[in-house]
This record gives sequence, structure tokens and C-alpha cells, in this order.
Amino acid sequence: MTLHSSSAIIMRTWEFGESDLMVSFFTPKGGCLKGVAKGARKSRVRFANCLDLLCFTRLEYEQKKEDGLYFLHSGILIHAFPGLRADFSSLSLASYMIELTEILFPVGVAAERMFDLLQGALSALDEEKQIDSFRILFEAKAMTLGGYGIDLSRCCVCGRTYQGEGRALFRRGKGGIACLKCGQESERSPGLGPATVNALNAIQSTSWDTSQALGLSASMIREIKPVLKHHIEYRIGQRLKSAEFLSG
Amino acid sequence: MGIYPPSLEKLIEQLSRLPGIGQKSATRVALYVLRSDRDLAEGLAASLLEVKEKIRFCSTCHNLTDDDPCAICRDGRRANGSICVVEGPGDQLALEASGIFKGRYHVLNGVLSPLDGIGPEDLTISHLLRRLEPEGIEEVILATNPTTAGQATASFLAGLLSERHPRITVTRIALGIPMGGDLKYMDQMTIEYALRTRLPVTP
Ligand SMILES: [Zn+2]
Ligand SMILES: [Zn+2]
Repeated sequence: MTLHSSSAIIMRTWEFGESDLMVSFFTPKGGCLKGVAKGARKSRVRFANCLDLLCFTRLEYEQKKEDGLYFLHSGILIHAFPGLRADFSSLSLASYMIELTEILFPVGVAAERMFDLLQGALSALDEEKQIDSFRILFEAKAMTLGGYGIDLSRCCVCGRTYQGEGRALFRRGKGGIACLKCGQESERSPGLGPATVNALNAIQSTSWDTSQALGLSASMIREIKPVLKHHIEYRIGQRLKSAEFLSG
Repeated sequence: MGIYPPSLEKLIEQLSRLPGIGQKSATRVALYVLRSDRDLAEGLAASLLEVKEKIRFCSTCHNLTDDDPCAICRDGRRANGSICVVEGPGDQLALEASGIFKGRYHVLNGVLSPLDGIGPEDLTISHLLRRLEPEGIEEVILATNPTTAGQATASFLAGLLSERHPRITVTRIALGIPMGGDLKYMDQMTIEYALRTRLPVTP
């Protein structure tokens, strides 16, 4: 059995057996994995404070027989994101990020860029409480990495290339935008100004740091928020539990 | 699916639904019950039903009790102006066993956990706020566990209390190196906390 050593973000933990802990964690090479940390609830020496929710850790683990579970051998805490523990809305958004990741990248799907995104987003949220804009950045990027990027290049009805002339509207069934000749703005088809389309395009295609530096305006946030809400609801087909604690 | 007769399998399955009991322990317990006298099974079954019928939550502090209000909430000597907020009845018991704390408790019945859909409304927070004035509370001690969820819950309560009851002192139980601990095995966050919250030593 090969021993793996990898950085990981702890997504969930459950008490298991008398003194064990079941842990689901996200790794760059293996995606979301599940493992058992034997005795982790009694002896904290091998896992000093590193198996807590949302901790960024370095774990050593090996695969158990065939059931897909791993045995966790030891771990070291790299960063605990204390800012997420100091504020309920930050914890709620971080939880939402975890939930969306779990759905887009189920057990065992490798996702190096998703790992970088999650880590970048949690670090940013740890330092700054920009709930609305970080939520948008994460949603747009995670959906793109999960294969559900919004097509902003052309009108999804007439096929005309969108070059930033006038407003566009979002069509959730098509996962793209339409020009105003092909539809009307409505609650279900929210509209976007040219600058907002540009910004969303940049968010979908650049790194976290680059997008964070964009500095979304309040009006852009207002326009993008309903678009992503409709898009995620339509593609994912479920409401995330943690979304209840985020406004809007 | 099981290798045991159905009724035994059923007992194992029921037992393994209990927290902290895995398949192996459940099997061990079930086989032990099977080998023991009938008295054990009867006593166990009766006690299980009795706790469900008799034990309830104290309507003041939400701790487990036979009588409502519980003994601590009835005891006038415990009304010393301080209230200690804990996650669950087990935490209250641990604190009470130490015999140090002489005030009253408030059991939250959980911690904030957005991932599981648990928010402020799902805990006994509004009831805690309603207790403060009538009971003349001057200090609220936040004794949730130092986990991500426990810390977030303490921060949330601290914010809420300072906003609604600015005159009440809010304190947090000390976090850091445990007694009998070893610095070599501590994680960096614990060490950072221990250093930041260090106390002056008077000879
Ligand atoms: Zn068109
Ligand atoms: Zn009581």
C-alpha cells in the first residue's frame, strides 16, 4: 500500500466508533477523499488540532482495502483560518464553498485547480470579510472548473458574437447570455451591463488573485448575484444547506 | 447479508446507530447481552424506556433533568450573577464535576454549523438572552469547545451580547497548552493562542 502525503482541506468530520474520527478532506491530486483517523478523539498527538473543520493541513494516509476509504496516519496543521471562526457570516460562506465543492467534485475526482481555488478563497475570506464579492468570485470560478462556465462569447439564441454593445440577459436553460433583440430582461432572465459581462468573463478565466484585484463595483455585484443564483440552482438542482445563512 | 440470526442482526444494527459505537463494538455488546442472564436485558430495556419517559430538558437552562426546573436552577445559592454557556449536557457535567463553578449554566444544545443547516435559531440562544435580566446576570462565560464550530459560536454570542447587553461582562474559557501537555506536540495555532493570552505571574 502506498503512503500518500498531501496538503488537504478538512471538509467534514464525524465521530466514528469509540474513539475514531471519520474525515472527508480535499486534496489537489485526489480531490475529495474520505478516511478514518484511528484514535483521533482520544490521542491528539498524531493529529494535533489538524482535523477540525476547514483546517488546511498536511496529511499522511494510505488506502484501505477496496472500499475507497483511507487510513489517516498523521497530520500537521498548516493554517487554521482563524478569521473564519471569528465571524458567523464568514463561516457560512466558507461552508457554502465546501458544499459547492462537494457537489461539483464528488469523491475521488482529481481537481488541482479546484484545490487552489478553495485554498485561495478561504485564505482571502480569513483576512477580509467581503462576503458578497468573494461569494461571486468563488461561484463563478467553481462552476467554470466544474464544467459549467457561463458562455459569454455570443448570444445563445441568434449566435451573434457579443462584443460589449449594450446590455445582455442571462438564459439559465442555455447557460449563456442573449442579446436584447432575442429576449427581455425579467426576474428569471436577469440583465447584465457590458462592464459586468466583461468582469464576469474575467472572473471565469483568471486566477483568484487576479479576480480579487478586479474590485467589483456594487452595481456589478448586484447584477451578477442573481445570474449565478439562477445558474447554480438550474445546474445543481438543489439548494445548499449553508446558503440559508447567506443573504440573497 | 448478516452472518447472525435476524433478531441478533437487528440488535447489532440498533446498537451501532448509537454514537461512538461501531459495528464491532455493537456486535460485542449484542453477543454479551445474548450470553448474559435475562435480568440484564430486562433491566436495560426498562431503563431505556424510563429515560425516554422521565428525563426532560430543564425549561430554564435546557440541561437534562428529572424535575423541571433542574436542581441547579432551583438552588438559590447558584444565583450569583454568572452564567456559563456550554454546547451540550456532557460539557455541563464535566464543568460541574470540577466543582469550581458556582453559578448557573445554559446549554445551547449544539453549535452553529452552516454545513448541517444549523443556525442561531436552532440553538437555545434566544432563551439565553431572555434569562439575563430576570436573573441579574453580570457575567456570561462562553465555554463552547475550541473547535471551528465552537469558536464560531462563541464569537457569534460575544457579538450578540455586546450589542444587546453592553453592560454584561463576556468572558471566554482560557485556550492554550493543556495541563500535562508537551509543547513539542502542540500545533502552531495553540501555541500562538497560548502566547497571546499569557498571564502575568506573581511570585
Ligand atoms: Zn440574439
Ligand atoms: Zn436548569
